[in-house]
Amino acid sequence: MADRKALIVDDEFHIVQVVAIKLRNNGFEVLTADNGADAYALACENKPDIMITDYQMPGLTGLELIEKLRATPETASIPVIMLTGRGFDISDEQKQKLGISTCLSKPFSPREVLSTVEDVLRQTADVNAG
Amino acid sequence: MNLKYPIWIFIVVLMLLSICCAMAGLMPMTALVYLGVLGGIAAAGLGFLCWRTLKELGELTRSLSTEKPSVAADVVLLKPLVTVLNTALQKLSEPIQTVRQDNQDLNLQLQLLRRRKNGVETILNSIQDAVLVADSQDRLILANPSAEKLFNFKFDSSRLPILSDAIDQSALLDMMLKARNSRVCHVRHELTIKADGENISFDCVLSCVTDDAGRPVSVVAILHDVTREKEISRAKNEFVSHVSHELKTPLASINAYAEMLVDGEAQDAATIRQFCEIIQGQAGRLNRLIEDVLNISRIESGLMKINRQTNSMALILRDSLEMMQSYAKEKNITIHTPPSILFDQVYVDKDMMTQVVVNLLSNAVKYTPSGGQVTVQIEVNDVEGTITVSVTDTGIGIPEQEMSKLFGKFYRVEANKNFAKGTGLGLNLVKQIVETVHGGQVFVRSQQGKGSTFGFVLPLAAAGQPAV
Repeated sequence: MADRKALIVDDEFHIVQVVAIKLRNNGFEVLTADNGADAYALACENKPDIMITDYQMPGLTGLELIEKLRATPETASIPVIMLTGRGFDISDEQKQKLGISTCLSKPFSPREVLSTVEDVLRQTADVNAG
Repeated sequence: MNLKYPIWIFIVVLMLLSICCAMAGLMPMTALVYLGVLGGIAAAGLGFLCWRTLKELGELTRSLSTEKPSVAADVVLLKPLVTVLNTALQKLSEPIQTVRQDNQDLNLQLQLLRRRKNGVETILNSIQDAVLVADSQDRLILANPSAEKLFNFKFDSSRLPILSDAIDQSALLDMMLKARNSRVCHVRHELTIKADGENISFDCVLSCVTDDAGRPVSVVAILHDVTREKEISRAKNEFVSHVSHELKTPLASINAYAEMLVDGEAQDAATIRQFCEIIQGQAGRLNRLIEDVLNISRIESGLMKINRQTNSMALILRDSLEMMQSYAKEKNITIHTPPSILFDQVYVDKDMMTQVVVNLLSNAVKYTPSGGQVTVQIEVNDVEGTITVSVTDTGIGIPEQEMSKLFGKFYRVEANKNFAKGTGLGLNLVKQIVETVHGGQVFVRSQQGKGSTFGFVLPLAAAGQPAV
């Protein structure tokens, strides 16, 4: 049984599907959402180990979703990887302020997503252990 | 004529008369006659002398007023004066010539300066940039019509106003005074001025004018309106940003699914097929997007190849409906078609007009929930010579405040983004084809939650326009 849980959020179904398959094939339990509001509810309910979210989504944007997570004690410490179609959208200050571990620009490679997820989880575990 | 002889004659006659008088002795009447004759001759002589003197003075005056003053050699009565004058004139002639030449040069230069001044004033009055000049006492000494219009005042060169009284823009005044005090000859600043309730951006160039000793005499400010340039630059950046985002989304899917296939992540034949279909679908989406962007760009720049011929609008509708039937069937949406009409000929590019109708039908089906209705109508107005095509749906509708922006490039109704995907280019393309290419007009009516009607009006084909 998978011991690591990932939440994937993107309004593009094909993006969600490809990342989900990659992570599932590599031992992750995967939750998916196509908008920010549903993602927030899933995060509160399931407390995933990591969240991969799109930047630009209708309704709640990626940044607003992260702000909401950080403001909620149960979800405040979930590490976040952001997928973005515009590399210059997020400043380093914003990343630091919102606790975004890293940003991946589209078009991205599923291998790159997997290795980034593994790295972020390892760093989080080290911080928690240290 | 020499005056010596008449004078001597006069004297001799006078003496003779005196002798005669003496001889006459005691004959007083005869003496009186002699004296009368003598007086007459004397008066005539004096008159002659006065006339002669005046004549010579006239000649002298005329001579002095000529370019080369000199006095005639036969002047007798005023000879001493003439001699002195001639000597003085000879001494003065060179400086007089120089002054006269200088005067001519100055007149020429004055003419040139006047001509140059008129030229500069014409240039200043013609340019769109606002020009202001203030002197060292903070008086406004020049303002062109663009400046008068921008700052809403009338410049009167005979009553120079204090700069701050004429222009109520503290940032600009500070810049001008700083430029004058620091004696800079060319410095640029960005400046925003609020006029008629709108912010106008200026590229402001300031230059200090100094005298020969380097002291500041005045300061010149030239304000170039860059609002439009800024807007174009912002729109261009936004467009590039939108296009790159829209291109990257299908590209990301193609890239990711291709990599999954290479890595063997698709574990069965069905999954492999699904991945391939996704790649194909996303490649098609990418192509359509590129075509839409290129078509809009071609229409805007006038480079689109347009093949206008007389076509039947009903046939264009029929072709478009055929293309959309399967999509409508997938969503269980019924499309109601219009009854045929007698004269529906329009002078249009058939492929472009088909794209217009397909875009409108596609939007209607896309934003209508399953089981809904789409109605296509066609109406001819014989009086105005126009044809109106409309597509009405029973879809989710559009909020009132968004209606004016619907035909903008990349614009998508925020509230409807969750309902269906789109690039925000379809309606812009419809507007460009109908209005820019065919001189028609698009229209929209909508009620949120009840549905929308999108359509266009085109002129009917005129007699003699080439048919297909």
